[in-house]
Amino acid sequence: MANSDAVQAAAPDGDSGHSSRRQQLDAARQELSDATLRGLGGRAALAQYSDTIDGLVAAVFTGALGDTPPAVVLALGGYGRRHLCLHSDVDLLVLFAGALNAQDEGRVGKFLHPLWDLGLVVGHQVRELKDFAWIEADNPEFLLALLDARPIAGDRDLFNRFTATFHRATLHAHLVEALLQLTDQRHALYNATFYQLEPDVKAAPGGLRDLAAVRTIARLTDPALLQQGPSDAARLDEAEEFLLRTRSILHLESRRNQNVLSHAMQEKAAGLLTYPGALPQARVERLMGDYFRHARGVARWLEWMRRVAPAPVGPNLVKSADGVRFIDAGVAANQPDTWLSAFQAAIDCGTAVSDDTLSCIQQHADRFTERDFLLDRAHRDAWLEFLTPRAGLYARLSQMHDSGLLGRILPEFGAITCRVVRDFYHKYTVDEHTLLTIRTLERLAAPRPSPEPPPRERERFASLLQDLERPELLVLALLLHDVGKARDEEHVSESVRLARGVFERLALPAESREVVEFLIANHLQMSMVAFRRDTEDPDTVRRFAALVGVEERLKMLCLLTLADVEAVSLETLTPWKEELLWRLYVDTYNHLTLGYGDELIDRSQSELAQFLGARHGDLPADEIARFLEGLPRRYLQLFDRDAIERHVRLARDIHPDEVHVSLEQKGSAWELTVVTMDKPFLFSNIAGVLSSFGMDILRGHAMTSPNGLVLDIFQFTDGERFLELNPDARDELVSVLDDVVSGRVDVTVRLRGRERSLVHHRPPRVTPVVHCDNHASQRYTIVEIVADDALGLLYRISRVMSQQGCDVDLVLISTEGHKAIDVFHITRDGAKLSAVAQDALAARLHRLLEEDHEVD
Amino acid sequence: MKLIKCIVRPNKVDEVKDALSRLSVSGMTVSEVRGHGKQKGHTAIYRGKEYNVSLLPKMEIEVVVPDLLVPDCIKAVIEAARTGEIGDGRVFVMPVEQSYKIRTGERDID
Repeated sequence: MANSDAVQAAAPDGDSGHSSRRQQLDAARQELSDATLRGLGGRAALAQYSDTIDGLVAAVFTGALGDTPPAVVLALGGYGRRHLCLHSDVDLLVLFAGALNAQDEGRVGKFLHPLWDLGLVVGHQVRELKDFAWIEADNPEFLLALLDARPIAGDRDLFNRFTATFHRATLHAHLVEALLQLTDQRHALYNATFYQLEPDVKAAPGGLRDLAAVRTIARLTDPALLQQGPSDAARLDEAEEFLLRTRSILHLESRRNQNVLSHAMQEKAAGLLTYPGALPQARVERLMGDYFRHARGVARWLEWMRRVAPAPVGPNLVKSADGVRFIDAGVAANQPDTWLSAFQAAIDCGTAVSDDTLSCIQQHADRFTERDFLLDRAHRDAWLEFLTPRAGLYARLSQMHDSGLLGRILPEFGAITCRVVRDFYHKYTVDEHTLLTIRTLERLAAPRPSPEPPPRERERFASLLQDLERPELLVLALLLHDVGKARDEEHVSESVRLARGVFERLALPAESREVVEFLIANHLQMSMVAFRRDTEDPDTVRRFAALVGVEERLKMLCLLTLADVEAVSLETLTPWKEELLWRLYVDTYNHLTLGYGDELIDRSQSELAQFLGARHGDLPADEIARFLEGLPRRYLQLFDRDAIERHVRLARDIHPDEVHVSLEQKGSAWELTVVTMDKPFLFSNIAGVLSSFGMDILRGHAMTSPNGLVLDIFQFTDGERFLELNPDARDELVSVLDDVVSGRVDVTVRLRGRERSLVHHRPPRVTPVVHCDNHASQRYTIVEIVADDALGLLYRISRVMSQQGCDVDLVLISTEGHKAIDVFHITRDGAKLSAVAQDALAARLHRLLEEDHEVD
Repeated sequence: MKLIKCIVRPNKVDEVKDALSRLSVSGMTVSEVRGHGKQKGHTAIYRGKEYNVSLLPKMEIEVVVPDLLVPDCIKAVIEAARTGEIGDGRVFVMPVEQSYKIRTGERDID
């Protein structure tokens, strides 16, 4: 029964079942004992015994669990390797596809009891598949035992799913490391020498565990190593056979799971293994001579393996001295969709892709088309993730380009390979200029340690990069911004046209497409305005602000411009130009964040007419117009059509004290949209509710239209995974929000429990800034706050404002790393705050932000 | 011969260059410079924090012209570079004693 592919037939249950199993087991044990007594309790005998146990386990499992729910029983560790000795533990994993209910637990009991009744020492684990999505770093023995997992009975497909979930590159790397650590610890118990007078044939250096470690390391890193070791691979097999035969004798003679070859046992073993010699001592010496020879062989193998084995860094990928390479180039050659992971792994490990792997890619790249590299969503996501600016990206993209892979994945980029466009400024070919733009970005992301630190002027641009929500889109835009130069026509529109094809293949969501297309289409605009227009003219800034619309795009365009200009030649980006670029950025940023409250949507506006003209769905134009009127114009640039229509629906039939809410997951964050009517403390109440659930608000917008309609959008992370783990969590959050906004529940009471954790007692990383401004906007006093991000910060700030009698009309919330940047547009009694009121508010806010850091 | 040194707004360089070309001024040197005049820079605010922008980016254009052409050049530069706001720049006129072509060693004659 070596083959466990098929589900085993059920054995008759009840007493007759038990006695028949008893007979089978006794017979198998007798057979193994007999073989052991003949000195033949090695691999073949143990495999046969393991197979009988398989049969018993399978029969009981099928009888107890049947087909539903999907479950599979796996043999682990030595049993998985079919090396089960007479008194070894029978290590099993019962794996379920989904969560276990009480009935399933009963079934597991029905499975285990008969095995216990047979006197088997069962080491069992019961898990569900999703348990293996995360690494249990604190239990490496279990994970290592899982490497030998072998299905005995049950759902084979579930086993395949387990294999796919479990065998991840990160886990393999972790396991090799853990295995070596465990080996060191074990060796330390034996003073790290295999010359033991009474060795433990399993655990001592040179024993069975070391032998298994040699094979495991090879399997996880490079199986070919087993053919190259310090001695013939057959020597390992011989050692294994010898050690297992000896171990079988130890189990038989001691009648328990005992693996120490003591002096007394040595005599018995030497006899059973038929060592020649007139006296026991002579026979023992020969036995131990063989033992030490084998143990030395195993120890040498392990030592060699530790020295030469490359570190596993991905499926079929290892990191060796010359970089990341395929373990099996033959397999990799036919799997172009896996090639990207070599480059990704190289960046992750801070190394290159090895020359032989690049040659393999170069040799085979022509066999595939662009679609072969981006087969499905996972590949497309991996490609975008790969483009995240970080140290090594330029070098790996260059390797990818040199090997022909980049041009295969993006033929549009391939077309500008070595392309020469003669002009007065550019000093490099178009492809290299493009890659150099990415190097500039990469250096902003991770300035290299060097004797000369990067100039301070660069740090300000680096901070913009840190702010970006999707920096990989900026890199995609950079990769494509000049592809239009493949032809001699006007390159910007040609680049846009070609980029659209790439968006299609990447199945890029509309929102991302718009951003990348905007950046490509406008990649010359910011340098043109910064260097050639009068940026001291507010009209120039206003027009440029209208072009970019929102801060995120401004930041992206600013970085793209910086990178594009710097990649023209060594001399092009002077500190002078950097200063002009930065000034345009700051002026535009201020216009977008401080001045937007003055620019409201009105019915006569062409943008509104355009929006209404192109509307789809069942929403009446008038309803949309009523909703939009009076909101800042910025709103139309912040949200796409679908989002706006969702907001209009949410606002339908809203009454005072009512709250209409939608909550959806957006990647790793959540987005809460709230529509309600304005009232005092509203904003702080909503922020407070989120904080009372432990939510960390990342970014958001709060807007109030003149008729009192409030639209607040919060993006937040749920560090405690409350929403994910509790099926009723969404409803609870919405109902608490409803209760708090309508005044039925006081949010301060809810927050009391959390209050202490809201205040973080550590030295501030950011010196808090509170800046009030009565000039930037015609209607509002603007309060800009920069502070250490902390749970509940927004709640406490806005509460202070409300306590001071202020109306919070517009809020921009953003977070950069650990820094919270919030801009409030406020009024008091419908007007801007007086200088005295501003001072009082600023003082209160300062006190609040400083109290946050007071130590207990 | 006079050296005319103009400090102008960056966005005015092209206009000044064109105006000087129209007067058949042949050679010129254009540099990116930073400095301040009477206004001594100004205060900018970024994210609630005030910072002083003391040195403003400007362009410097230098031309050497015959004495006869000096008044027209000054007029042309001022017309081209003026916006009427603070920060329009300056024009300086300096005497040039001698001038040589490096390639030929030939001395220029006014």
